[in-house]
Amino acid sequence: MTTVSVEGLRVSYGKRVVLDGLDLELGPGVHGLLGPNGAGKTTLTRVLATVLRPDRGDVRLLGHRIDDHSGLRQARRRLGYLPQTFGFYPRFTVREFVEYFAWLKEMPPARIPLAVDRAIERVGLLDRADDRMKQLSGGMLRRAGIAQAIVNDPRLLLLDEPTAGLDPEQRVQFRALLREVGLDVVVLVSTHLVEDVVAACTRVSVVDGGRLVFTGLPDELIGTGGDSDSGDSPIERGYTAVLRGARTAPR
Amino acid sequence: MRRALRVEVRRGTAPFAALAMFGAGVWMLAVHPDDWGGRWAGLANYLRMSMLILCALMIAAGAWQAGRERRRDIDELLASAPRPGWQPLLVAWLAVALAGTAGVLVAFAGAAVLVARVATYTGGGWWWTLAVGILALGAAAALGVFVGRIFSLRVVAPIAGLAAYLGLGIATYWAGRAAAWLSPVYGGWAADRLVPVRVTALQAAWLAAVAALMLAAAARLRRTAILAGGLAIAVAVPIITGPAARRLPADPAAVELVCTATGPQVCLSRINAFLIDDVTAVAQPILAHLDGIPGAPRRAVDQAAQPDGQPIGENHETVWLNLNYQSTALGGLTSPDQLRADFRQVTRPACMDASGRREVDQQVYLTDALATAWMLDEPPTADTPLARLRALPIPEQRAWFAAYLDAAGRCDGPSLIRLGQL
Repeated sequence: MTTVSVEGLRVSYGKRVVLDGLDLELGPGVHGLLGPNGAGKTTLTRVLATVLRPDRGDVRLLGHRIDDHSGLRQARRRLGYLPQTFGFYPRFTVREFVEYFAWLKEMPPARIPLAVDRAIERVGLLDRADDRMKQLSGGMLRRAGIAQAIVNDPRLLLLDEPTAGLDPEQRVQFRALLREVGLDVVVLVSTHLVEDVVAACTRVSVVDGGRLVFTGLPDELIGTGGDSDSGDSPIERGYTAVLRGARTAPR
Repeated sequence: MRRALRVEVRRGTAPFAALAMFGAGVWMLAVHPDDWGGRWAGLANYLRMSMLILCALMIAAGAWQAGRERRRDIDELLASAPRPGWQPLLVAWLAVALAGTAGVLVAFAGAAVLVARVATYTGGGWWWTLAVGILALGAAAALGVFVGRIFSLRVVAPIAGLAAYLGLGIATYWAGRAAAWLSPVYGGWAADRLVPVRVTALQAAWLAAVAALMLAAAARLRRTAILAGGLAIAVAVPIITGPAARRLPADPAAVELVCTATGPQVCLSRINAFLIDDVTAVAQPILAHLDGIPGAPRRAVDQAAQPDGQPIGENHETVWLNLNYQSTALGGLTSPDQLRADFRQVTRPACMDASGRREVDQQVYLTDALATAWMLDEPPTADTPLARLRALPIPEQRAWFAAYLDAAGRCDGPSLIRLGQL
């Protein structure tokens, strides 16, 4: 079941084209989005998060076209998003922050208290729920960010560099959360950390130069690498092989 | 929305706005209790006078609140939410406006307790003046929100507040023009004046329209902004073309006289009647001192009750007392000396030329000072004209004063100079 469909996506910043002719189909499960710096990962995530309007292309989220006002609002209600730069209100407590976003996501008021507690519990911050955001460490802030992203039980969860700032133990917990959430939800995780992809993702896509150059299972990405490719792990070798192949192939 | 509002009130700019407004309110009240002591209308007018500071603070608070999203790098997260952008903006504005208003109202409620203890007149529609002031605070916060949305720099909030202070300060110089009604700052009318309902209603509509315009513009709701802007212009036109503040009529009930029952008559307007005991204690001895002297006043009356257009001194039987700034916070008389000084109008020679200037011999002034000192029973120093006047028998002193009043009333310079040569 496809819940994210992107066709012929083109996005540019001024004269610089960042995404060009990108097609993507995503169904339930955890999708890793890999690519070098400047490849267009964050831009693609921002388009899917509906904060960046594409120049061209057809984007459907959860069955709704995002260029339709009503459809956009419907899609946003079932969307969770953690941007790469996670801003927060320092004087809010964790509970208030997540509660505020539950309100912004137009959750029914009666459901909010329970949903907030559940989201905070899922990211392991229940014991810090009444602490101010400014009192949290970098990793805890990231988890609070994830809590606001999942508070509305999203059908589409977009996480841009979610493991940045998490210690190894927290990353293990986070991957478990991803696997749990991804059972019936589309989760797109944009990351530099290929080990996160192996550990938590059911599918992986690689973007380079504004184009989608690979999409498949993690094992398939691993399979593209050979001993001659650079990298410390099989998936790193697969990743560099895909990039090398994309850059040598005629466009 | 209540949930979000509650969070904003507790954690946003609102608590700081409330504290700042409370502090500013207390400070303003403490600076000039003589402007509001004992009078409900005076207190409401003083709130409007304080708008110079309070609106500037509200604008700064609104700008700080509205710039928060960009300062905290959270605008992208907000942009991905389904709730229309005007709703969180409205909540943020409402939190600042409510908290700021609550802060200043708490300060003024303290003053209201003091006023309630002594006030002798509760009418006059002062609550409409107060209500327009509250609307003005909301409009100021909305203007701040708009500015904060347009400019994201931190320094914008203090600059916007300072600019508002200067702008409103400059607008006070328009007090004689009808356009002054567009400013929320007090237009300089006395507590016993009645602001016409039409003006109050137009002011309220103007401020509400400005608030709506600012919020709609901040939320980029073009149609609503155009509608609110049109309404603001439609309301501003009759305000600008209407009567100016200086022509306000007296409130008949506020200036109704309340008089002493015994001794020389002292009459105060109802709105100032809480001062009657203190004023009587100062005025009656002077009136008693002058009792029976031809040409001397027989009663002292609150100037607030003076018929419009009648200059002071026209009625020789009455001395007019200016009580506009004559109340302490607790309702007592601020300055008995100032009140005694009002009696100088009795002895002032009627020597005004057509241009209103007094061109008389300096010696006339000396005689004037002598007559005033005698009238006010000031203590003489040795071997001065006053000491020599006091040395005369009482009937001769009174005759001297009667002669002085006669000469002063005619501006008879030679007689006045001769009277001074004791």
